[in-house]
Amino acid sequence: MTPTLVPLATHSQIARTPSGEDGLPQELEEDLRAFGCKLIHQAGILLNQKQVAVATAQILFQRFWFVTSLKQFSIGDISMGALYLASKLEECPIRMRDLINVYDLLLQRNSHELSLHSSPPPSSPSHRPQPTHVPGHNLVMASPAAPAPSPSNGKTKFKYTPMAYFSDAFYNLKDALVVAEMQILKRLGFNMLVVLPYGTLINYLRLLGLTNHKEACGKAWGYLNDALQTPVYTIYAVPTIVSAAILLATRHLGISLPSTPPNSWWDLFDASWEDVWTVCGHIMRLYRDRTLEERLEVMRMVNKKEVRKWLEENNSL
Amino acid sequence: MSTVAEGTSAPSRKRTKWDEEDHENEAIRRRQQALSRQLRSLRKPRMTDVTSVPKGTSLSRSPIRDAYSIFVPPRAHHPPIQPSRSVYCYERLNQIEEGSYGVVFRARDKETGDIVALKKLKLEEEKHGFPITALREINALMSCRHENVVHIREVVVGDTLTQVFVVMDFIEHDLKTLLTLMPAPFLQSEIKTLMLQLLSAVAHCHANWILHRDLKTSNLLMNNRGTIKVADFGLARRYGDPIGVGGLTQLVVTLWYRAPEILLGATNYSTAVDMWSVGCIFAELLLKEPLFQAKGEIELLSMIFKLLGPPTSATWPDYCTLPLAKTIAISPPHAHQFRQRFPHMTALGLDLLTSLLTYDPQQRISAEEALHHPYFSESPLPKHPDLFASFPSAAAGEKRKKPFDSPSAPLRAADRIFAETELP
Repeated sequence: MTPTLVPLATHSQIARTPSGEDGLPQELEEDLRAFGCKLIHQAGILLNQKQVAVATAQILFQRFWFVTSLKQFSIGDISMGALYLASKLEECPIRMRDLINVYDLLLQRNSHELSLHSSPPPSSPSHRPQPTHVPGHNLVMASPAAPAPSPSNGKTKFKYTPMAYFSDAFYNLKDALVVAEMQILKRLGFNMLVVLPYGTLINYLRLLGLTNHKEACGKAWGYLNDALQTPVYTIYAVPTIVSAAILLATRHLGISLPSTPPNSWWDLFDASWEDVWTVCGHIMRLYRDRTLEERLEVMRMVNKKEVRKWLEENNSL
Repeated sequence: MSTVAEGTSAPSRKRTKWDEEDHENEAIRRRQQALSRQLRSLRKPRMTDVTSVPKGTSLSRSPIRDAYSIFVPPRAHHPPIQPSRSVYCYERLNQIEEGSYGVVFRARDKETGDIVALKKLKLEEEKHGFPITALREINALMSCRHENVVHIREVVVGDTLTQVFVVMDFIEHDLKTLLTLMPAPFLQSEIKTLMLQLLSAVAHCHANWILHRDLKTSNLLMNNRGTIKVADFGLARRYGDPIGVGGLTQLVVTLWYRAPEILLGATNYSTAVDMWSVGCIFAELLLKEPLFQAKGEIELLSMIFKLLGPPTSATWPDYCTLPLAKTIAISPPHAHQFRQRFPHMTALGLDLLTSLLTYDPQQRISAEEALHHPYFSESPLPKHPDLFASFPSAAAGEKRKKPFDSPSAPLRAADRIFAETELP
């Protein structure tokens, strides 16, 4: 049986993303996309949604930005729409109201976090919160919106105020959700085919005789999940990404596999070294230390208005 | 080995995964190479530990990888990420039909001139965003591409967000209209061809984890080249384990083609429900009319009981566990009546029919098994699709010529004069 051919970004789509054309630097775009994926992940956990739906949503979300500029749509709205859509695709639909409530919480927490830092202008880099992530594990708790160790002396603890049942906030978010879902469908040409990497990983680990190596399996699995915050699933076929996850995991643990050119293990999986290495680069870039300013900037730009403001400020110079 | 020679002559640098030109020929060559490589690897012992890979086998392969496995097609084969085009790329010709799901139009692609079928989805008053049923339909069509599944070309949009059209190949006939209009039933050889096509389409859908859930003759389209295409995936959905939130609905499959386990309220049915429908279609092709023309579910069950004989603990062990089993009164046991109903069938043909119309979903034949049923290899053999007769297409607005439309004989001169004089 021939495998499902999922849509992948073309060479020119990768080289010149719509946001890049609008003047957004590549690194900032990557961080913004990753932030949207983290929102999906967090919402998925709060909604007790299945990981297949979360992963599908993240892949659709990443695809969207190859045909749309971050100036046009907010990552908040589109990530919400992607999760709603993916839940239907994976036959585990969620209630609109539940999703909206969860997103309201996440966005409130986001603005709370921002307000903590906005009142005193970010002064000394001494109290930069340490990144709490562990490579190869779910990054959900390491995301900027998570209750990070607050540098301010706990002056205001975040308190969530739920919205009223018939509030304007609800209807605004609902409209945004319906529009976002339809825009994702339309801009992706209704091609919602997604292939998740997990089954392939198990097969490859089995073939490499690594299934008894618990740590290697767990790490590779974690790298695959972290890779969902990068655009790699929209650029490379699954075998390449899985090979990259295995490469990172085995290198990290010092497991040696035949890797000298004529006998390279990734050849078994039809992955080319350059591609595997590029995917590793994408994943490793997630773990780069971000300064507080960088993180706050990304959090602020969850809204497209802030993206536009940023573009005006930075491109007029 | 030729693979090695070719591999060294073509440097990998040149053929990056990005290049898109002339991958057509490349792909064929690669596929052949991949196949030969697979065959070779089949002869090799299975590798469980990479360190124990015999050195000879790895050396026999070129260090420059040029043959892709058929499981990993080159990147250029993947479709690009592409927004929907506008419906104005098509010129509307005529309306084909209207159903509860929406309207189907015949249209012409303004660029290529191809004739297509445009199905407009009904999206007004949706409370839950884009309807999940429409999503399932589009997704099923996209993931089940097959020679005998109607080809989805794209999904186009109108001016507003509520106008969505699915663009499919236009197929001239549906089997239902054809069966009612054609003067003589299909021949055995033709029925075998049609059944093989239907079974391979259903097997393909099932292999891709898609249940069709509405197989019937009016959903089988047929072109003038003797090929049928399974269409209307409006009730299709993915299946698997776990099934998903809320189980599977019983409100599926047009009544006459509905499997007994759905009638009795099962919520964990599977591929076997499609196979029951295939059995009903098979019988319909033989009889030239639907097998179970019941008005309601109870009548349908009694018709099934009459033809198959009432279910017993041997023919359907799980019968008692079904939700509605206790509400149905079972008539006293009697033998099945397939032979009386199909007096001219061969023993093998009847065996296939009874394997499809089997009570127990576990024992019912699968599409893959049915494809290899000996019925298809006994005489008369399946007819080549090209040898099928063609018919005027009702959907394209073509009219059937009257069967006896030969010119009338010349009137006798005397009659003509008589007729003329009669006029006032």
